[in-house]
Amino acid sequence: EDTGDDDNYDYGKGDFTEHACRYCGVSNPACVVRCNVPSCRKWFCNSRGNTSGSHIVNHLVRAKHKEVCLHKDSPLGETILECYNCGCRNVFLLGFISAKTESVVVLLCREPCLSVNALKDMNWDLSQWCPLIDDRCFLQWLVKVPSEQEQLRARQISAQQINKVEELWKTNPEASLEDLEKPGVDDEPQPVALKYEDAYQYQNVFAPLIKLEADYDKMMKESQSKDNVTIRWDIGLNKKRVAYFVFPKEDNELRLVPGDELRLRYSGDAAHPAWQSVGHVIKLTAQEEVALELRASQGVPVDVNHGFSVDFVWKSTSFDRMQGAMKTFAVDETSVSGYIYHHLLGHEVEVQMVRNTLPRRFGAPGLPELNASQVFAVKSVLQKPISLIQGPPGTGKTVTSAAIVYHMAKQGQGQVLVCAPSNVAVDQLAEKISATGLKVVRLCAKSREAVSSPVEHLTLHYQVRHLDTSEKSELHKLQQLKDEQGELSSSDEKKYKALKRATEREISQSADVICCTCVGAGDPRLANFRFRQVLIDESTQATEPECLIPLVLGAKQVVLVGDHCQLGPVIMCKKAARAGLAQSLFERLVLLGVKPIRLQVQYRMHPSLSEFPSNSFYEGTLQNGVTINERQSSGIDFPWPVPNRPMFFYVQMGQEEISASGTSYLNRTEAANVEKIVTTFLRSGVVPSQIGVITPYEGQRAYIVNYMSRNGALRQQLYKEIEVASVDSFQGREKDYIILSCVRSNEHQGIGFLNDPRRLNVALTRARYGIVILGNPKVLSKQPLWNSLLTHYKEHECLVEGPLNNLKQSMVQFQKPKKIYN
Amino acid sequence: DDEVHVRPKVTEVDPQEEANFEQELRAVLQESMEQRRLELRGRPTLNMMIPMNVFEGSMKDHHGRGIGGESGDEALDEEAGERKEIQVKVLVKRGNKQQTKQMYIPRDCSLVQSTKQKEAAELEE
Ligand SMILES: [Zn+2]
Ligand SMILES: [Zn+2]
Ligand SMILES: [Zn+2]
Repeated sequence: EDTGDDDNYDYGKGDFTEHACRYCGVSNPACVVRCNVPSCRKWFCNSRGNTSGSHIVNHLVRAKHKEVCLHKDSPLGETILECYNCGCRNVFLLGFISAKTESVVVLLCREPCLSVNALKDMNWDLSQWCPLIDDRCFLQWLVKVPSEQEQLRARQISAQQINKVEELWKTNPEASLEDLEKPGVDDEPQPVALKYEDAYQYQNVFAPLIKLEADYDKMMKESQSKDNVTIRWDIGLNKKRVAYFVFPKEDNELRLVPGDELRLRYSGDAAHPAWQSVGHVIKLTAQEEVALELRASQGVPVDVNHGFSVDFVWKSTSFDRMQGAMKTFAVDETSVSGYIYHHLLGHEVEVQMVRNTLPRRFGAPGLPELNASQVFAVKSVLQKPISLIQGPPGTGKTVTSAAIVYHMAKQGQGQVLVCAPSNVAVDQLAEKISATGLKVVRLCAKSREAVSSPVEHLTLHYQVRHLDTSEKSELHKLQQLKDEQGELSSSDEKKYKALKRATEREISQSADVICCTCVGAGDPRLANFRFRQVLIDESTQATEPECLIPLVLGAKQVVLVGDHCQLGPVIMCKKAARAGLAQSLFERLVLLGVKPIRLQVQYRMHPSLSEFPSNSFYEGTLQNGVTINERQSSGIDFPWPVPNRPMFFYVQMGQEEISASGTSYLNRTEAANVEKIVTTFLRSGVVPSQIGVITPYEGQRAYIVNYMSRNGALRQQLYKEIEVASVDSFQGREKDYIILSCVRSNEHQGIGFLNDPRRLNVALTRARYGIVILGNPKVLSKQPLWNSLLTHYKEHECLVEGPLNNLKQSMVQFQKPKKIYN
Repeated sequence: DDEVHVRPKVTEVDPQEEANFEQELRAVLQESMEQRRLELRGRPTLNMMIPMNVFEGSMKDHHGRGIGGESGDEALDEEAGERKEIQVKVLVKRGNKQQTKQMYIPRDCSLVQSTKQKEAAELEE
């Protein structure tokens, strides 16, 4: 069956050349020779690197191996070097000599053939014998020395490493240099660095971290089996069986997302045999219900509803693709341009400009006019091989990105690749780019093809199904048959797959822009595509290896968009996070001195709401592109303490509690007050879709949902429509009104999640019209940033307490902030 | 057009390491020589067959590329107006069969220089 996944796809392997130098990875056939000792047969190049002899000579001396064979693409072809007279193959004894005339030469050994008198009699000039190994290098006209560029991009191996690996080869001839650095099971992993010698060192650091994260993810997800699950059966539009059920999440660690694979099991009863099937999550309802589309429709016990079990089917695909990208980055010198290669590794590279004619206008059709900082960003980006764009909340980074992509596509450098770590962001970008009139293909993971998307018409699978040409009728016929019968005969299936692949290829190739997630860029369907220009949005939310996946498809010009003052990638494994996996490539490039171009005009928040974030996170540079009038909630009668400032900090003294799962927190008083505020908003004329409730804790999130649906003063349905989410999951989104519940209220403990300034930034910048913060100032004020936030609210008479209909300024005393945080 | 200018790191070869390596290299060489001497106690014989046809048409200086011209033409020194490399035939054995392969070697290689000088001297005579 076509599972759609790339289980059989070997990431990065295909890029390894067998004849690459086992020390440094150089694989130019003109530069390498093979050690001809049967137990060895390794290839080495003729460069010295930082050592006293060339790599091949180093190997021969250290391993006491003495025979070599030339590469089949070298001038002499696949040839074992040997004495023309006696057949001696010891390269330390061999040398070239002219056979009487300059134009014919042979290899002759020094001992004994060179001392044969007959040669002299033949009038050969024996004094001109020219040893094969000279100055600890092979003759350079026989085996070329790799160019300086090639050497710079190779692994920078040291003499010590050579000695170590040669030692290792004595017992394990297949060992790799990576085996030298492998940390023990209990060792702390090597932390990430700012600069790397070469891509191999880079891989040595990141590969173990990705492995740690993958192992943790697997362990956690596979332990999530649930029994006694109740199912509601349905049939999808594509006639596939869909199971609806509640998959309770006990802590904030595992969040199911569309595309996840689950196994549904039924142990059987008197009337039903045991049954199981795998399916993909196609949707998560607001009521926390999971919709699972089953892969096979046969034998489903649809008349049973109770007693099912659900397991998570863990997939290594995304991690494999990251590992593959790092491998490609190291071994394939066409993976990224030399400039990008050295720049990413933190080497000192001479500044380079991209020679492209700049457009006269920097905006793009179908997009709003750009403001000055956006125009500046587009213009600078088009001239540089690597650029960073920092887009603070609401500053129009999607529009700016779309304009950049539009101009890149018009430069005729081939297709542009546009990625982001999340599907939501990719969809948004695809939509905006498509609005400029460019031909966009949105490539989705096969597991997500059934997941509804706002840009369905742009998706590859949709375009394949709806391609309107007569020669595609064969494919359509087979597709219809497959949809109706669920499966095809094996010959039809073969034909179907071939036709589908060809059509997919044709459509993808005709696009100006391909949009997919970072992990999606590793899809085998893109394996033969090359993208010189790559833009990655939300790049500050991706790990480095994740960002690398779209880059190694041939990048020469890279644009990373993001905001390192907002939350970074989520790393579940603490060990990996501690070692620095949570630092994005964007952040490292900033540390390396790449100055991000900052978009400076925000169009989201009421000016009163943007003031504190601008001053605290963006050095006060954030300008308002919206006026107070444009953010006046006319007709909404809500008791803001200061009428022109739609914000307040609502002082809460209720206790925090540990949630039922034992891994999260909740705060009942705050939850009760959240309900009151929501109800007041609803009564004042705000509709549910305008309100967002956010909190850092899953325990509180679940508690608020539950509390509101049970205790809400108004119709239950209204509360169900209100989105209650974690701060983290709200990054990149906005609502007209935001209610933030801080939860933590323990004088003797820290404030956990709230400590991260980037989380506070995200929380404060989601609202367009108004924000209400519920929290305990006594506890929060210990942290300097929260202290200044509280002071800000207090100075503006927005720190209040008392009943909602009679809010009074609070006189609560703040604590002295501790000097250090984090 | 993938030109990139990287400031190379100045890494010097550790003299200790260098001396060490040189010593090992000499040892391998020495050992190789001795081994050969032991192996071939008797007088070595010459059983080289150099097919005479390889010399045909190859006595002249080579300005043009021979057949194939496989390795590009980066060797052309535009300003000097002459090649820095010279074409030679390398005679190799495959089993008992001789084969010749075209190769380019630098004009300043000792292998060809002295023969050239000799040729020149002979010409003068
Ligand atoms: Zn060897
Ligand atoms: Zn090498
Ligand atoms: Zn010999």
